[in-house]
Amino acid sequence: MTKKRELMFSIVRGLLAILIALLVATLLIFISANGDNFSEKLASTGDALKQMLVGPLFRMGKNGTRFETKRLTDILASMIPIIFTGLSVCIMFSANQFNLGAEGGIMLGAFVTGMAAIYLPMAAGLHPIVAILLGGFAVGVMMLLPALLKSKLDVSEMVCSLMLNYIVMYLIKFVLNTYLADKSKGQIQSYEFLETSRIAQLVDDGSKLSVGFLIAIAAVILCGLFMYRTRWGYAIRMIGINQAFSKYSGMKVGTIIVVSQLLGGFLAGVGGGIEMLGRYKTFSWSSLPGYGWTGITIAILAGNNPWFVPPAAFFMAYLSKGCNLMATYAKVPAQLIDIIQGVIFLFFAAEQFLSKYRQKLVVKSAEEEIARKKAMDEAKEGGHANA
Amino acid sequence: MPDEKTGRLDEELVVQMKGITKVYPNGVAANQGVDFTLRKGEIHALMGENGAGKSTLMKMLFGLEQPTSGEIWVNGEKLNLTAPSVAISHGIGMVHQHFMLVPSLTVAENMVLGMAPRKGLFLDHQKAVEITKEYAERFNLHVEPEAKVVDIPVGMKQKVEILKALVRGAKILILDEPTAVLTTQETTELFKELIHLKNQGYTIVFISHKLNEIMEITDRLTIMRNGRSMGVYNTCDVTKEDISRLMVGRDVILNVQKDEARPTDTVLRVRDVEYVNEWHKKVLDKVSFDVRKGEILGIAGVEGNGQKELVDMLFGFNTPNAGTITVEGENILGLTQSKIRGLGVSLVPEDRMLFGIAGTASIEENILSDRCADKRFNKGPLFNMKAIHEESDRLIQEYTVLCKSRKQQVGMLSGGNIQKVVVAREFSNDPVLILADQPTRGIDVGATEFIRKKLVELSRSGIAVLLVSADLNEVMELSDSLIVMQGGHIAAYFEDTKELTDDQMGEYMLGLKQQPAEQIRRVCHD
Repeated sequence: MTKKRELMFSIVRGLLAILIALLVATLLIFISANGDNFSEKLASTGDALKQMLVGPLFRMGKNGTRFETKRLTDILASMIPIIFTGLSVCIMFSANQFNLGAEGGIMLGAFVTGMAAIYLPMAAGLHPIVAILLGGFAVGVMMLLPALLKSKLDVSEMVCSLMLNYIVMYLIKFVLNTYLADKSKGQIQSYEFLETSRIAQLVDDGSKLSVGFLIAIAAVILCGLFMYRTRWGYAIRMIGINQAFSKYSGMKVGTIIVVSQLLGGFLAGVGGGIEMLGRYKTFSWSSLPGYGWTGITIAILAGNNPWFVPPAAFFMAYLSKGCNLMATYAKVPAQLIDIIQGVIFLFFAAEQFLSKYRQKLVVKSAEEEIARKKAMDEAKEGGHANA
Repeated sequence: MPDEKTGRLDEELVVQMKGITKVYPNGVAANQGVDFTLRKGEIHALMGENGAGKSTLMKMLFGLEQPTSGEIWVNGEKLNLTAPSVAISHGIGMVHQHFMLVPSLTVAENMVLGMAPRKGLFLDHQKAVEITKEYAERFNLHVEPEAKVVDIPVGMKQKVEILKALVRGAKILILDEPTAVLTTQETTELFKELIHLKNQGYTIVFISHKLNEIMEITDRLTIMRNGRSMGVYNTCDVTKEDISRLMVGRDVILNVQKDEARPTDTVLRVRDVEYVNEWHKKVLDKVSFDVRKGEILGIAGVEGNGQKELVDMLFGFNTPNAGTITVEGENILGLTQSKIRGLGVSLVPEDRMLFGIAGTASIEENILSDRCADKRFNKGPLFNMKAIHEESDRLIQEYTVLCKSRKQQVGMLSGGNIQKVVVAREFSNDPVLILADQPTRGIDVGATEFIRKKLVELSRSGIAVLLVSADLNEVMELSDSLIVMQGGHIAAYFEDTKELTDDQMGEYMLGLKQQPAEQIRRVCHD
C-alpha cells in the first residue's frame, strides 16, 4: 500500500475514533443531564455539548456567541506542558519502549526546577535556563533506572516506570513536607521562586501564555528534525519497527534503547520546569499532575510523530477546557474528559478497528500492482514480437 | 453442464472453487484467480513448490482463511466458509502437517474432543473408546484408543488425525503433506488406508511435492505455481517430467553464465569450529574451510545440519565453543554486528522478514540501515537527504526494484522485490565477503535470476562469496567449489562443481558417504 493511502487510512481512523468518543460522551451527558422529561433533558444536553465544543473559544452570553481571545490564550497556555510530555512519549514509544514515566518525570522536573529557582541565585537571563535544564537532567537520571534495567536485565520498562512515578511523587512530597516547605503558609508549599527565575509572559491577560509556548514549539521542531532527519532518530524508529533488523544492520540497540528513554525523560523534565516557572510562584503540587498521561494520549493521536504533537495537544487542551466549562455551566461532571480520552484510546489501540476497510485498500493496491506488472510484461512481450 | 476437458457432468463435482483470489493483509497475493475442483471418490493431488499457494487454497476450503474474491461450491451449494466449524459441518476435514492433538490426553479422548459423550457431568470414557474402536475398524486405521498421544509414533498420530476428521463426519479429507513426517513403511501403510477410504466413496486432497507418491496414488492433479493454477490433469496422462516442468517451470533450471573463477587471497578463514547448542547438542563439529577472493564457495546440505548456526556465528550472533574465525586476518569472535560489518562482511539473511527488513519503514529507510552513520549521508548532525535520496534511487534502479517510489513501505512489496531491497543494501557497501544464506528462497523467477547473476558478477569482481543454500540446483550451479554439511560436520568437499551429479550429492547430504579427511582438508588453502 502506498504511503498516501496509509496516511489517509490513519486520518479516517483517527477522526472516526474521535467522533465515536464524542457520541459516547453525548450519550453520557444525556444520561446525567438535568431535566424532568425527554425534551428538557435534550435541551440541557444541547447546552452542555455547546459548552464543550464551542465554549473553549467563544463566550456564550446574552449578547450571543462571540470569540474571546483570552479563551484561546488559555488553551495555548495549557498546551505547554502536554506538548513536552507528548514529545517525550513519542520518542520513547517510537523505540518501542513503553515507558510511562513522563508523569512522574514532569513532576520531578517541576520540583527540581522550582528548587533551583529558590536556592540557586543567578542572573535574570541565566536563571530560568539553568533551573529548567537541571529539571531536565534530573528526570533523565530518573529514567536511567527503567532504561538500564530494561537493556541489561530485560525488566519490563512499563511496569518499572509506572511504579517509579509513585516513588518519585511520594519522595517529592516527603522532601517538601519535611525540609523545604514554607511553614508560614497554611498549605504545604515551597518558598517563592526568585524574581530572576521567572519566565516572561507573552500576553498580559492572566492566561499564563509564557515564552514557554515558543520553547515548546521549538522543541517540536527539534524533535521532528531529530526523529526524521538524524541518524539517531532514525535508529530509534528502526529499533521500534524491528529490533532484530536493527541489530543485524549494526546499530547499537542497547545504547539506543537507553538513550531514547533518557531523552524522553529530559523532555518531560524540561516541560515540568517550564510549566512551573511560567505559571506558578511557588511549588505546591501534592499529587501527580496528569500531564504525563495526557502525553500518552497525544503521542497515540500523533502516531508517535513529533510533527503531529501540536495539533493533538491543541485537541486535548481544547477538550479539557470544554469539559471544564461544561462542568461549570452545565453541571456535567468534569470526569467526562477521562471517559472521552479512554474511548479514543480504545479505538486507537484496537488494531482490528476498521481493519476491513484497511484490507480493502490493501487489496486495491495489490490489484493495481498486479495489473501494472501484467501491462509491463505485455509491453515487454510486444517489444519482443516486434523485434 | 459438461466439463470442457473431460465431458463429465458437474453433479459429480463435490467441490468447486471458482476464480479464487486471496490477498493477505501484507499485500501478498497468494492466490490469483484459481479454479479447483474435486470429483466424488477421487484422490486429487495439489502440487506446487513452497509458496505456490496450495496451503492458502486449502485453508480457504477448510474455512481457516476467507477468499478476497471467488466462489466456493460444495455439493452444489454455494458456501460462505467463515470458520473451520462451518467447513466441518459440510463434511470437509483437514489434517494439518503439524498435528493438532493434545499430547497429554489419550487417543480416544483426542478423538472425541469437543463432542465428547458424557455420563452425567463427566466424560464417558468407555463410550469414547468404543467410538474410536468402531471407526478404526470401519476404516481400517489401526490405533490404540487407550494410549496417550505423547507416547504413540508419528504414523499413528496421523491416523488419529484422520479418524478425528472422519468422526466429525468428513466426506472430503484434505491432507497437508501427509508423508513429510512418515517413514517409508508408514507411507506404504497410509497409502493402503487412503485407497480403502477412496473405495468407500471418500474424496481426498493430497498436498505434496513428492512426484513418486503422486504418481502412485492419485487420480487427478492440480498444479500451482506462483499463486496460479497451471492446470488440472489426469495422473495417468502425464509423466513426472511434465509435472516437474509445470511445477517449477522450465526457466528455473538456471543457466548463469560464469567465467572460470580466479581465486586469490583468503578472506574468510574458519578453523576447527565447534558449537554446542542450548540443548547440549553438538551442532558444529570441527568445521574448517576458507573462502577466497573471487570465488563462490557453496555450502550444500539438508537444512538443520549446522548451516544456520554457522552463519549466525560468522555474523556475530553466537560464539563457538572452540575454534577460530578470521576475516582478512582479523579475529571476529566476540565482535558486534557493527564491527563485523566494519570489516566488510555483508549478510543476506535467511529470514528476510525478521532480519532483512523493517517492514513498515520505507524502501529508502531500509537501504539506509547499515550506512546511516556514513559520512556520505550526514551533514553535521543532520542527514544529507539529497545524498540519501540519490543513493536509494540509484539502488532501486540498479536492482530493478519494482515499486512506486523510494517512499513505499517495503513490507508491501512482493517477496522478490523485498529480497532485491535486501541484496541492494548488502551488495552495495563495498563488501569483501558476502554471506548469502538462502538468497533466493521463495521468490519469483525474475528476482532469483537477477540475484544469482549479481552474485556471480560480484565474485568475479574480487569479492569472496559464501553461498548457503538448501536448493541443490542453486548451490551446484552457482558455486565454484562446494562443501556438503551433514550432521554438523563437513561430509565432502568438491573443488569443481561441473562434473557433480545430484546423485553424488545426495549420498553425502543424507550421510550415506563421507569423504576422507585429507580430501576435505583441501578446502583450507594454507
